[in-house]
Amino acid sequence: MIIEALIAFTFAAALLVFAVPNKYAGKVAFGLSLVPVIGSLYMWSLFESGGNALTGGDIAFETIIPWVEIAGIQVQWFVGVDGISLPLVVLTTFLTSLAIVSAWTPIKERQSQFYGLMLFMEANLLGVFMALDFFLWFIFWEAVLVPMYFLIGVWGGPRRKYAAIKFFVYTNVASLVMFIGFMALVFGLNVETFGLPEITQALANDQLGTWFGIAPDTLKLIAFLALFVGFAVKVPVVPVHTWLPDAHVEAPTPVSVMLAGVLLKMGTYALLRFNFTMLPEQASLLAVPIAIIAVVSVIYGAMLALAQTDLKRIVAYSSVSSMGYVILGLIAFTEFGVGGATFQMVAHGLISGLMFMSVGVIYNATHTRIVSDMSGLADRMPVAVGILIAGAFAYMGLPLMAGFAGEFFIFAGSFGSTFLPYAPIFTALAMFGIVIVAGYLLLAMQKTLFGEYRLETDYEVTAAPLHDVAPMAVLLLAIIALGVAPWVFLDMIFDAVAPILANGGGL
Amino acid sequence: MVAAFDFVPAIVLLPFVSFLIALFAGKYMPKGGALAGIAATAGSLLLSIWVAISLLGVSGERIHQETIYTWATGIGDQPWELTFGVLIDPLSALMLIIVTLIATLVHVFSLGYMNDEGETGLPRYYAGLGLFTASMLGFVVADNLLMAFMFFELVGLCSFLLIGFWFRRDGPPSAAKKAFLVTRFGDYFFLIGVVAVFATFGTAQFAGPESFPVLAEQAVAGDTSVVNTTFGLEPTQWFTIVGLLVLGGVVGKSAQFPLHTWLPDAMQGPTPVSALIHAATMVAAGVYLVARMYGFYAVSPTALAIIAFIGGFTALFAATMGVVKREIKQVLAYSTISQYGYMMLALGAGSYVAATFHLMTHAFFKALLFLGAGAVIIAMHHNENMWDMGGLKDKMPVTYATFLAGSLALAGIFPFSGFWSKDEILYEAFIYGLNDPLLLGGWVMGLLAVPITAFYTFRMVFLTFHGEPRSETARNPHGFGWNVKGPLSVLGVLAVVAGFINMVPVQKLTGIELDFLTQYLDSGGEGLTYSGYNALLAEYGGYEAGVVGTEVTTLLIAAGLSLGLAVTGLLVAFKLYNVPEPVEHTAKLGQVKDVLYNNYYQDEFQVWIAHRTQSVAAVADKFDQGVIDGVVNGVSSVSLFGGRRMRKLQTGLVTNYAALLTLGLTALLLAFGLLGGWFV
Repeated sequence: MIIEALIAFTFAAALLVFAVPNKYAGKVAFGLSLVPVIGSLYMWSLFESGGNALTGGDIAFETIIPWVEIAGIQVQWFVGVDGISLPLVVLTTFLTSLAIVSAWTPIKERQSQFYGLMLFMEANLLGVFMALDFFLWFIFWEAVLVPMYFLIGVWGGPRRKYAAIKFFVYTNVASLVMFIGFMALVFGLNVETFGLPEITQALANDQLGTWFGIAPDTLKLIAFLALFVGFAVKVPVVPVHTWLPDAHVEAPTPVSVMLAGVLLKMGTYALLRFNFTMLPEQASLLAVPIAIIAVVSVIYGAMLALAQTDLKRIVAYSSVSSMGYVILGLIAFTEFGVGGATFQMVAHGLISGLMFMSVGVIYNATHTRIVSDMSGLADRMPVAVGILIAGAFAYMGLPLMAGFAGEFFIFAGSFGSTFLPYAPIFTALAMFGIVIVAGYLLLAMQKTLFGEYRLETDYEVTAAPLHDVAPMAVLLLAIIALGVAPWVFLDMIFDAVAPILANGGGL
Repeated sequence: MVAAFDFVPAIVLLPFVSFLIALFAGKYMPKGGALAGIAATAGSLLLSIWVAISLLGVSGERIHQETIYTWATGIGDQPWELTFGVLIDPLSALMLIIVTLIATLVHVFSLGYMNDEGETGLPRYYAGLGLFTASMLGFVVADNLLMAFMFFELVGLCSFLLIGFWFRRDGPPSAAKKAFLVTRFGDYFFLIGVVAVFATFGTAQFAGPESFPVLAEQAVAGDTSVVNTTFGLEPTQWFTIVGLLVLGGVVGKSAQFPLHTWLPDAMQGPTPVSALIHAATMVAAGVYLVARMYGFYAVSPTALAIIAFIGGFTALFAATMGVVKREIKQVLAYSTISQYGYMMLALGAGSYVAATFHLMTHAFFKALLFLGAGAVIIAMHHNENMWDMGGLKDKMPVTYATFLAGSLALAGIFPFSGFWSKDEILYEAFIYGLNDPLLLGGWVMGLLAVPITAFYTFRMVFLTFHGEPRSETARNPHGFGWNVKGPLSVLGVLAVVAGFINMVPVQKLTGIELDFLTQYLDSGGEGLTYSGYNALLAEYGGYEAGVVGTEVTTLLIAAGLSLGLAVTGLLVAFKLYNVPEPVEHTAKLGQVKDVLYNNYYQDEFQVWIAHRTQSVAAVADKFDQGVIDGVVNGVSSVSLFGGRRMRKLQTGLVTNYAALLTLGLTALLLAFGLLGGWFV
């Protein structure tokens, strides 16, 4: 029941915040958002890992309630978590609370609607990570887009409408492709429910029949491609990434935090749940093209980040680069590869959240994000800049911070992969990203933070207020904690990942 | 029973605690956190000495290995275990003493260089020093390659923070960025090496029966079942590749050609930091790493030959650039690069002891020279140009005496410490080089660097301390206190006597047992001893000592050559620069001087690469915006058009969005109904 309580409470909190006067909305929303944080931590404390939810392992906090029947197949309220989803649930609640605090300074109008939508989005995100019925999952998946659309479109920058519509249409079209692809699979399978475990196991047992004259293997391949395209947009990988920088640049800081921190992980989470768990043979078939996409995303994304002059675009493109590592880890299909990819989802969520918050704090003070407009900020806001520097080094993969852990696991897992041909070459190429990321972040830091103080806009920079710096400090602590003790999540992740690998054919 | 080994983690943690104290409470403390730093590093020094002595007391294998913390572990039959642990053997115990000693002296010296000079940001400075020391100590005690890599990177971070300490100026942040970026480039290869070691051996432990050097030896000996090589390569070939990958990190951190360019720029940092970086931490880390995993390199002779050649070349190459520099710290910077080249030459020549020996003596005399230069810089009101100095010897006798001792050691003059260690390196490179042309090439280059080293060292000494004062500040230098003189005196003594712990040539001539360091380093655990490495080298590397006549004549030839050349260089410098009014003799070199002064234009080359990369990035950005996003916008123009139409139809934001949403949901429902209806 705890999952129901968590999601229902968050929905109710969203409604409540809509009704709260603007003046208090931020504080009330933060207070209410702490409840899901505590709830998810409580779930974590009770959690005992027992395999993968989809392949027949234990499903923690499971609830199944039949709902409606569509096309002869039962839709259920079916929720639960395993070692893959729980870390993401904790990430979601944690990051939402911090993002709400980071909104206190920049959000000056329609606060109650803003915070209400943030909580509404959180509720749907929780649903995405905990739903185990395809239809239920899809409803949450689509419903996330609605608040995000408003959050960018109403509170965004000058080109907010373009960015919001681009985001909405792009990901929605992708969802449609994915939906059709998966439906084809479901109807070919002859399953009784839309339960993901049932579908996964039916596929593993070769229950897929011929459908409209399409042979099972072809059908699987079509489904894999449709799903991959659908999720790749969300991740995003090159070449379907161009909605991301626009969305980030226009979105206000807290929305960017959520977008980079959690929404992108929907894509990689779904890739892992659907493509790699349900259709490993097809993944094997397409290993080389997928690895090429991963490597290109890493290097090309990093090169694009190097070319940017807007701090937020730099961080936005670096997300494309970091997500490329996740794809590499997944396609390596080894314990450390897939486990590291899952870990990296959480690590990147925290680190990119911190980076967007840092850029937001700079913007709050300077009202510009253009690198050449400022220098020497370290002199005026030492604490915020200190945390920013720490966050940037986390992004560069500094050891004993979460980013290094995730990246190292991925590299170590993919280098010796036998699933992916030429694995050492792909790994070595992707690893060059760690040099480029240091290049563009150090360059941007040198220009904006160091040297003599100078600002082109008509504002005077002073030390950032406590409520701007506090969430950054909390994130930094979390990043260091995960970097020092990655096992707090890694153990349960490995436990949930191992059955997938066994499913994939003796690796 | 309380054993010294139980306190090894404390050696690392004490400076880390001082980092935390200085960072969070430094501004409330009297000396900006300096006292906490001094107490912590001095505590670590005492513990390190205790550990090293305890190691002497251990009978049998002198090794202590303990896993302390499991960072991550896989599941399955033979899971990878990624752990943190400590490995204490003679090598790491010696290094612990070197690092903690230098760190303590640097902290004390900083009281004079930073506090007394009225610098701001002292808590940040001492926090950086503390973290730097802690990271280096963590690296030294690491018992596996992954842990070593992690602390290696943290060392890089600290160098960034400290080189860029004066962040309000333009130079230091740029130098800090360069230091991190260039070493990161090397670490990229190192990280591939770490990953490859895991993929190949399933472990990254340095010592023990299941360690990767031992498995590598088994594989080379024919038992290939213990390793997974890649691309169907033979174990030897694959190990050479892995060894060279790890070497990338070494070349970066130890500032070897071609990744040495960050180091002269790093002089932008405070001088005590330079002393720490050059003598005991960052730069030493690279060489130490090769020594730490020497068992692995010992079975890949190709990698060793490359190490020797890089080392010899760097020794000579850097020395030539040191000849023409004007700033005192620049001369020292190039001498550091050159001296680490000697250590690499020693490692490549199979002489593990000579490299470690020189690492130690160099740590003492180079820290001394930097701190001495720091004292000169205080006296000169932060003017570093040697052409503005002169005649300082009468005004600062303690600095002069100690600086001279350090310079004699650096130049390799008998009987100062540097003579013993450098001579041993050249001797070993010579005897093994007699049977290996690549090594002999390294030896020749190392030998050629000897007179150049003596020349630039004494050019520096004479320009700084001798002759007539050439500026007003040199006539009335700024004074300083015990906190500057104290560390100088300690290091001055060490620069003179440190060489006596391993007087191998004297032992060979007289038969008196004087090779204490060799014996100490030979008493480590199985597979970690000097003689163990020699056996591996002889068996798999084909290393065989050659002689010219008898061993004694070989020894005399080698020692005589290097000492004679050193004295020659010194005398040339004496002739040219020990005059009241020295002139820039190097200007007579004409264009050669310009090339040398501009470091063979390699910085320009690297800047060119950086600019090229940025151009490529700009092109990629144009491509992304124009082509990829252009396609997206082209495809989506229909929906955008629709959006615009709706805005025209219905003004007011909310309705506009609602309409779009409704449209979207309708489309979805339609698709879903279509599919559902179709298949009922």
